Amino acid sequence: MKIVIFGGTPGSGKTSIIKYVISELKDLKLHYVKFDVLSTEDDNLIKEKFDISTEKRISGDVCPDHYAALEIPKIIEKYTDKDVIIIETAGLCLRCSPYVEEGIAINILNILSGKPSSYGPLLTHADIVAVTKGDLISQAEREIFRAEVMKVNENASIIEANGLSGEGTIDIAEAIIKSPGIKDKLTLRHSMPTAVCGYCYGNKIIDSKETLKRYERGKDLKARLPNLNCGKCGFKSCNEFIRAVLDGKAKESQCPFLKKR
Amino acid sequence: MMIKEVTIFPGYDKEGKKECFEKVEIYAGQKIGIVGQTGSGKSQLLYDIEKLTQGETKTKRKVMINGKKPLKELKTNPSKKIIGYLTQHMNFMTDTTVEDFLKTHIETRGRNHTEENTERLVEKIINDANTITGEQIKKNTNILILSGGQSRALMVADLAHVSESPVILIDEIENAGIRIKKALELLVKKGKIIFLVTHDPILALDTDKRFVMKNGAISKVIHTSVREKGIANYLSWINNYMLDVREDVREGKQVEELKLICSPMG
Repeated sequence: MKIVIFGGTPGSGKTSIIKYVISELKDLKLHYVKFDVLSTEDDNLIKEKFDISTEKRISGDVCPDHYAALEIPKIIEKYTDKDVIIIETAGLCLRCSPYVEEGIAINILNILSGKPSSYGPLLTHADIVAVTKGDLISQAEREIFRAEVMKVNENASIIEANGLSGEGTIDIAEAIIKSPGIKDKLTLRHSMPTAVCGYCYGNKIIDSKETLKRYERGKDLKARLPNLNCGKCGFKSCNEFIRAVLDGKAKESQCPFLKKR
Repeated sequence: MMIKEVTIFPGYDKEGKKECFEKVEIYAGQKIGIVGQTGSGKSQLLYDIEKLTQGETKTKRKVMINGKKPLKELKTNPSKKIIGYLTQHMNFMTDTTVEDFLKTHIETRGRNHTEENTERLVEKIINDANTITGEQIKKNTNILILSGGQSRALMVADLAHVSESPVILIDEIENAGIRIKKALELLVKKGKIIFLVTHDPILALDTDKRFVMKNGAISKVIHTSVREKGIANYLSWINNYMLDVREDVREGKQVEELKLICSPMG
């Protein structure tokens, strides 16, 4: 089984490119997963268009890249019969990259969205950088952009891609076919931030005392929870459960694994 | 790299029918027009050539260089790229001056230029661009405020001097605001091969041959006649006349005198 992770900022053309890639890979057994924060219909559209299995994973209150890292093993376990699992990430902040070492990492990079040097691991840790919307600017500037991408990620193969015409998508599909399959555990290419503070636990008041109080209670709960995101409490993730408890919307006893103090 | 010959082997049209030619050979120094209705496959043909495709695009065409399968390096290494591409859009996004932009591009191309050389090259590009457009471009003009004609002129001159590619693809470079034949003359240096998608009769009739695209395929190859070339000259004269009057109007002059065309086929 191969795992392909697409990352890129919103509006970079990820979904359009993926559609072309899927039609190039139609002889393989595919599963498509879309990660998003609030809502998405892409999974339904792709299911309808290509008749492959799809699903969406909505991260809600959790950072979407953290959430993806937690969910990917579950997805792999569930779809062992597939040849390729295509994961489209939400693509929001540039701090992390959702890529794993064992799979192929593809960054869809909108040429109009600023200097390559201001992108983090989303760009620097990708195997393929597919530059989109290049048809809107001059060839000279495209060449300059390409050189700037190579400065921050000299190992990537840079492909000029177009989500409307399908340009470059054959090359992406070819790279996916040539990529090695996954065998054992997956490893992230880049660490995630330690996103734990009073605000992470749902505090809205900008006040240090209130935030600290919330943090202490949240930290205590976090330490006693299994952090499996098993969903038995009725929430998608342990973090969401913690927020609900702190907000008085859930009881600690809803978690079957909670350690007693 | 010296390019003596580009050969195109047939692919398939939109309905899967094979193109009805054995192969098309284009030699160094030739200008090829690509004409046809919207959606007839003109841009796809340029794309196939740019990719130096070996049957992997949807048309399944094959493109050979000097009779051989091209090395992969020719496609991926920007300093070895043999194909220059002038696309329809020539917008800029970097907030910089014409001079600095050209310098960056020259550096990107990675050839060993001394500072003095670079300065001279920048000067030459701007001078040449100014022979194509009537609206003068200055070194310290911000590229973001260039007009359509100025951008086109600058990119033509840039392609001629910085990119120096032996094969040049031009996708519908519009006529507006530039002396289009002059632009082409700048690009067609000795030994270059030019493919140009165009609806413009000045350009289409000034080629050596033209491919007529239909339903995704090359349906016909027309060898341009001497008479057609004459007509192209005549139309070009009209276009340049229009540009001169345009500049006069812009400068606030009154245009009273009508230039009459004496020898249309001259």
